[in-house]
Amino acid sequence: MSSENNNNNNTATNGISKEEVALYDRQIRLWGMEAQARLRQSSIKVIGVKALTLEVCKNLVLAGLGSITIQDSTPINEIDFETQYYFHEADLGQPKDVVLAERLRILNPLVNIQTGEGRSEDTTYDLVVKIGTGIGGDSLEVNGKCRKRGERFIAADSFGLFGYIFIDCLDAHEYIEEEKPKDDNAVVKRISLTASYKPLADSLTSKPGVANLNRLVRKFPPLVFVCQTLSTISQLEDIKSAEVLAEAVRRSIEGRGIPDGVVDDVLFGRVVQSLGTEFVPCASVVGGTLAQEILKVITRKDMPMNNWYTYDAIKADAITCQL
Amino acid sequence: MRTNSQISALFGPDTATRLATARILVVGAGGIGCELLKNLSVSGFHHIHAIDLDTIDLSNLNRQFLFQRKHIKKPKAHVATAAIKAFNPSLDTSAMQANIKEEQFDVDWFSQFALVFNALDNLEARRHVNAMCLATRVPLVESGTAGYLGQVTVIKGGETECFDCHPKPAEKRSFPVCTIRSTPTAPIHCIVWAKNYLFVQLFGEPPEEEREVVEEVEAGQEEELKALKEESGALAALSEAMGSGDFAQRIFNKVFCHDIGRLLSMSDMWAQRQPPRVLDYDELEHQACDPPADHSNLSMAQAFILFRESCHTLARRRLEGSPLAFDKDDQDTLDFVTATASLRSYVFFIDQKSPFEVKAMAGNIIPAIATTNAIVAGMMVTQGVLALAGRLDECHTAYLSYNTKRPRCVIRESLSKPSLLCPVCRRRYLTLRLADPAKTVLGDLLDYISCLEGDMSLGMSRDNISVVEGSRLLYDPDYDSNCSRSMQDLCLVPGKMVTFANEDDSDVVPVILSIARPLTKERGGLDILIEGFEYIPEYIPLPQQSLKEECSATAVDNNSIEFGKRSIDDVNEVFESPSKKHAFD
Repeated sequence: MSSENNNNNNTATNGISKEEVALYDRQIRLWGMEAQARLRQSSIKVIGVKALTLEVCKNLVLAGLGSITIQDSTPINEIDFETQYYFHEADLGQPKDVVLAERLRILNPLVNIQTGEGRSEDTTYDLVVKIGTGIGGDSLEVNGKCRKRGERFIAADSFGLFGYIFIDCLDAHEYIEEEKPKDDNAVVKRISLTASYKPLADSLTSKPGVANLNRLVRKFPPLVFVCQTLSTISQLEDIKSAEVLAEAVRRSIEGRGIPDGVVDDVLFGRVVQSLGTEFVPCASVVGGTLAQEILKVITRKDMPMNNWYTYDAIKADAITCQL
Repeated sequence: MRTNSQISALFGPDTATRLATARILVVGAGGIGCELLKNLSVSGFHHIHAIDLDTIDLSNLNRQFLFQRKHIKKPKAHVATAAIKAFNPSLDTSAMQANIKEEQFDVDWFSQFALVFNALDNLEARRHVNAMCLATRVPLVESGTAGYLGQVTVIKGGETECFDCHPKPAEKRSFPVCTIRSTPTAPIHCIVWAKNYLFVQLFGEPPEEEREVVEEVEAGQEEELKALKEESGALAALSEAMGSGDFAQRIFNKVFCHDIGRLLSMSDMWAQRQPPRVLDYDELEHQACDPPADHSNLSMAQAFILFRESCHTLARRRLEGSPLAFDKDDQDTLDFVTATASLRSYVFFIDQKSPFEVKAMAGNIIPAIATTNAIVAGMMVTQGVLALAGRLDECHTAYLSYNTKRPRCVIRESLSKPSLLCPVCRRRYLTLRLADPAKTVLGDLLDYISCLEGDMSLGMSRDNISVVEGSRLLYDPDYDSNCSRSMQDLCLVPGKMVTFANEDDSDVVPVILSIARPLTKERGGLDILIEGFEYIPEYIPLPQQSLKEECSATAVDNNSIEFGKRSIDDVNEVFESPSKKHAFD
């Protein structure tokens, strides 16, 4: 926690007002003033409103992100009141993005919160986050468009007792890693690094290159293959049984050198039971993890997961892998 | 009541009913607490009670998202429960601004809950709740976070490890006397000197001996210790001059000139070390400088001015009232510590720390963010649901990692069995009720215990029993003067826990008797009633049972072998013996 700005004697530091420094004190002490300043200047878009969206947006708004654009005009439904806690009975029928934005503004008035399509064609976002597959069209297409515009992309979802995050920070993401000093006196060493990410389309056809099933599941949690499949299905209601899911997964692992039976029937059954439901404690874990990765992407501090994260709430399995 | 149909789909209708009817206690409504309450409010729970003694501060708002600016200075528990009621208006919530260690929260009070969640920030409160949950057999979900890291576990008395099964490291760091007083080498030494020595001697309530953050002095240092004592004495005497206009100058000259001069005269001390330098009051007084910046190191001139100003401000406050205590949110005290620590660092050629950094070090600030708390709280509620559903075997102890190169972001382990040597959970927890605490004397209770027979026998009697409450020895075979004193007179009131042990036989498991509320007339005219015999944790041997039974060698408890206090036969039989089943099962 070395002082990073020895020459600035004004009330503002890095353009951050004294009031903000007081508000963000406890987090500035963790990630530093520079990261906080970067956060403040960044702008992200979030597509799709469900419990996971509430969690991620809550975390990012609390952190003091510069601007968030939320896109999802679906009218609020009765079932949403069970888990999407910012929505109240009086909001029935109102567009989700508008209501969520209102509630988030109260949470932190310093953050600029927009709704709908958001921007004009010339502005690019620092990051586009697609939550779930129901809103905003096909994730592959969205990722493709982002790549063309040089925008980083994340696809994530939390359903029932499961969740996943996919991260694409483009071909050359630069970031800093700090070497932990041995004692309070040592100077913190900053190392500059670069990591390369692949688009979703490449990830979905990638070959893990491990033929042996036992060795495969030590590196790749079987859940990740299920989540890869789900990430491309916009109508999750169509998956009405474990058999249908198994068939969809079989098709998506075909030709990739992945042994059949990588996902067992028990997992198929558990996943199907979770589809179409929300469990906020699970969304809380995935949302916290996702927000942390988003902060890494934006502040360029520490390496964002490269490139899949899956979570199984009952097994407490929170595992990353690269596909 | 608004039901959560999804909980039923995910966990089954029986569990959904249990969640809806269970009374839940959340201890702490801060960082973890807010996330926890939010999760509970929309996960099928209905009866939620929150307790926290704190009020809301601006620095909480970066993560304690149930609070807004307008709530600053209001009690956390109340604002948090009001907020979650807005999320789910059908909830039955209640809040208390109180300390969970208060006696009103006795075993009867804890017994009303089906599940307790700890969202605390200190060891003492955690230990206390752990003991109460063991005494009442209520499952406890324990947690902690700091920065990016966090952990969760589930504690169920008799079935899992408790909070004290493994010794925890002490919370406070300690330093040798001489490092603080004579040979500092790091900024923290100067800060501890400023906060625990200088500030306390001048403006606070000095302890009788400088015990708090100092270790034992080695042999051969008695002389130095004596000199230091004289120095403290002289400093305390100087505080008589607090009213005078040159008070700051006198203090300065003493601690930054005179005392340093004495140290310099001990040339041996500096043979291998950088010797300190003396500071000049007059020279510094005439130096101009800019106002200090929070994130920049203080120059000597800036430190000097801050010292002089804070010194006089504190002197004035001290003269007007009672002794002062350091508080990182009390700017005057913080300024004084920052300034004097800075000056001392200049004296000893130690690196400076900015006011921002000093506040964290002096105030023990732990950096905190919303995301870590959200992750931990999410895992806590999942574990809580499993515990209530009777699926303890699926619960885990989980540790968050950050920035790990390994695939797992969460390290998880199945819950362990209780430690055989745990001084807290390897106990029989029973409750004691009295019809008239003013009438019943300690001797009556001892007789009652001695007479217990059969399955209720505790294996103790007057001639071998010891009775301890807190740090007080109340009775042992050589000390019986309290026998004729009433329970009330001995302060053995509801909320207290009394330990009974058999001094002659260490194989007899000690008993912790929780004093509960008085007996009502409906209980058939009894004067004394001890309850809880029906619950015998699996691993505790009953007094009559032989300790030499056959069993397999697989379930060895590594802790016991390490400590070597019990023989391997004893260890094995506790886990493996099939006759462990209690008559009441």
